[in-house]
Amino acid sequence: MIKRLANVKTRTNTGFDHVMNEMGPQTPFGIKRLKEQKPFFPGEEASLRRELDRIGSLFDIAREDEKYISKISDIFMDMKDVEFTVERSKSSILTVVEIFEMKCLLLKMEQLSSLFEKQGKKIPDEFVLSDIRVLLDELDPRGDRLNTFYIYEEFSKKLADLRNEKRMLETGVRKSQKERREKLHREKGIMLTPKFDCVVSKSDEEAIKTFETAPELERSCQDIMSVTFQLVRTEKEIETIEKTEMLAFKIEEEEEKIREKLSKRVWAFQKEIRENCMRIGSFDLTLAKALYAIRHTCVKPEIIKDYAVYIKDGRQLQAEEILDSKDKEYMPVSISLDLGVTCITGANMGGKTVSLKMIGLTVLLAQYGYFVPCKSAKIGLSNFMQMLMGDSQSLERGLSSFGSEMEELKEIFDHCTERSLIMVDEIASGTNPAEGLALTKSVIDFLKEGPYISVITTHFDVGEGGGKVKNMQVTGLANADFTKLDRELRYANRKERIGIIGKYMDYRLSPAKEGKTIPKDAINIAKMLGIENEIIENAKKYLKGEKV
Amino acid sequence: MGLLNQLKNKYSVVSIIGMAKNAGKTTALNYILEEAMDEGMCLGVTSTGRDGESTDLVTGTEKPRVYLEQGTIVSVPKGLYDLAEAGLEILRMTNYRTSLGRLMLCRVAESGYVQIAGPVATADQKKMCSEMKALGAEMIMIDGAVDRRSIAAPDASDAVILATGAVLSRNMKKVVQETVYVVSICSLPRLSHQRTRKLIEENRDKITLIADGRAKTLNLATGLGSGKFLQQEMSDETEYIYMPGAFTKSVISDMGNAELKKTHFVLKDPMKIFFDAVSWHQLIKKGTKVSVLENIKVAAVTVNPVSPAGYSFGHEDLREAVSKALPEIPVIDVRL
Repeated sequence: MIKRLANVKTRTNTGFDHVMNEMGPQTPFGIKRLKEQKPFFPGEEASLRRELDRIGSLFDIAREDEKYISKISDIFMDMKDVEFTVERSKSSILTVVEIFEMKCLLLKMEQLSSLFEKQGKKIPDEFVLSDIRVLLDELDPRGDRLNTFYIYEEFSKKLADLRNEKRMLETGVRKSQKERREKLHREKGIMLTPKFDCVVSKSDEEAIKTFETAPELERSCQDIMSVTFQLVRTEKEIETIEKTEMLAFKIEEEEEKIREKLSKRVWAFQKEIRENCMRIGSFDLTLAKALYAIRHTCVKPEIIKDYAVYIKDGRQLQAEEILDSKDKEYMPVSISLDLGVTCITGANMGGKTVSLKMIGLTVLLAQYGYFVPCKSAKIGLSNFMQMLMGDSQSLERGLSSFGSEMEELKEIFDHCTERSLIMVDEIASGTNPAEGLALTKSVIDFLKEGPYISVITTHFDVGEGGGKVKNMQVTGLANADFTKLDRELRYANRKERIGIIGKYMDYRLSPAKEGKTIPKDAINIAKMLGIENEIIENAKKYLKGEKV
Repeated sequence: MGLLNQLKNKYSVVSIIGMAKNAGKTTALNYILEEAMDEGMCLGVTSTGRDGESTDLVTGTEKPRVYLEQGTIVSVPKGLYDLAEAGLEILRMTNYRTSLGRLMLCRVAESGYVQIAGPVATADQKKMCSEMKALGAEMIMIDGAVDRRSIAAPDASDAVILATGAVLSRNMKKVVQETVYVVSICSLPRLSHQRTRKLIEENRDKITLIADGRAKTLNLATGLGSGKFLQQEMSDETEYIYMPGAFTKSVISDMGNAELKKTHFVLKDPMKIFFDAVSWHQLIKKGTKVSVLENIKVAAVTVNPVSPAGYSFGHEDLREAVSKALPEIPVIDVRL
């Protein structure tokens, strides 16, 4: 069975799939590579590091020399996958169009090779292409390296002679026909079209008579109103036309011979061609990774042997893009995770879920061999990772949000093995708080004993969990200036309120102080979002245990 | 003779469009190609995309098969390359797709017959024409639609050659009348009022009423059956009515003569007019003004005196009659 790192839902929820969609390799080979990419698992750290180093090399080149990269991009444009043609060349004769496409691809390979050989460019060895110049020379008998193709006369002397002969004969016939047309015009005043025919109206009996009697003309067709006459072909012309037809046949034969020879040569180079296609694919994808890293300020993660995850100033790219489009700044979050359970608590709207996604995205990207969106990261590889989010209500399957949560939880327990990264977002928040809390606590108890890294966000007060449970807290509005905040909120409309709260919110995580209970920000936030004062006041009373 | 000479200094891209099927469009194209042959001029040849007609193309009922001389630049779909009798040097694989594969630009290396096809979208056609020019074509001929009504305006070309012929009617007078009518709507005046033009350009796909320098767009994309709504929206101040879609009798059916008299219709291009010659003249007589955003230059008219239905006109008669009715346009008999 193929080993799976993360399921589709986890890849989508963390934003990994979104990043993949933005990757955009240009060649069909690169796109194929992207589709077939596999993550690196524990034990494959060395090859992952090599992959990251390759991205690093291209990252540096792209940063230094944009022109060079745009030249490569130009070559990548309109590249065509010739796999089918290569396979066909084994036993069939390729068509002219196929040979043309092959020649175009070989030309691109040659251009790429010469760009790779440019001084001072450290292109990793894995991308260097095999030499296909010999084959290209054969497909380009004129040696002009133009991306055009025809069964040129340079391919064979015989072909050149045949074509020449045919051309001479054809011009000969046309010349003699033209001469006779001229003569007819001169002597009898009869004008023929460039096609050497003429339409005569039947009512014009005199004309019909002249035409009929002219030995140079014959009836070719007629309708009710008119007769079409055409120039009679002389015996010599008929003979020549027959000859040209024979020649045309011979030319076709010779062309086929040439195509057959070229097809065989293509097959002789099949290994090199296929290998080069693979290498172009890897190069294309690696370059796409490097360019993406530059566009989104990503860095090379350090891959460590131990099982731990350290992220400094990490960003969830999808959320960042949304904020970017609104001209708002993303507040990066740092976190370090070891074996055991990390509980993240904190205010509503405090970005707990986004932080959880950020962790998942960073680890996934690193394990698939990508640079990661943060200032720095140290990542130990996982065997399995899954993210459970409380949004999986399934109407079709008749499951409530709680029901599907439990199903997914079971899936996690079934799959998690050594070195698993488990991320759980507000489990059991859809049921009564007493049981929810109990369930959360027991899940934490179970996870903390395993060889896993678990991150759980929750609103429940799970209390001190002992050495293997770390409590982290979103700073939230703890340090916000409430007088200023209130003033801003007073005249804001609904949309603006959310923005204002976001502005004052501190999304960063810090270790929860011992003995301190979970911050109660929910009522505050509700108030800021414009819930009736009466309701807010009553809620506060209930919270204190007072009667309303 | 000498049609090409008359065209070549004025236009760089010319479409040939037929008045009806079998009006002699391909004959006209062949005629010009032969002239180019004699003149030693390098032509580019392409056709209007006809994605709906691929079966026709394959079965051969309406395939524009033309004899091309060495040196001609031509667009051929991948699927038809091997069927070409001519020797074609592939110059470039384009990104324009047709139902018979991607289009390739080729140079004719050995003269012979070729089946041509072109891009489907007008914008692509335009781009491809400039690619052909870059490859050395001095002038480009587009084998246009069989029937003028089956295409949008021939935006891609500078001018059109209108192919007309006996196929239109057994009555020669009728053939002349129809031809003159099409030429006259092609040369309808371009809307010259710049402010109105600007207002229309802002909302090119909606029916727009312009009164007192302000535009009011109606939530209707076509004029079909919209006569009632138009009448409701019109007021004494209405100066222009812009119709993006087809301009038919049904558009004006609910308007009174008084209203028609003061209305100035603006159409996208002349090909949007779907009137018969008689009703059109009636409309114009009522005083209705019609202008277009872009008109069409008719460079020449070709006539084909022979109808495939088995009748024909006297061989000089049709040409002379059309020529007399359209004195300012060159008229050529393609059969002569």
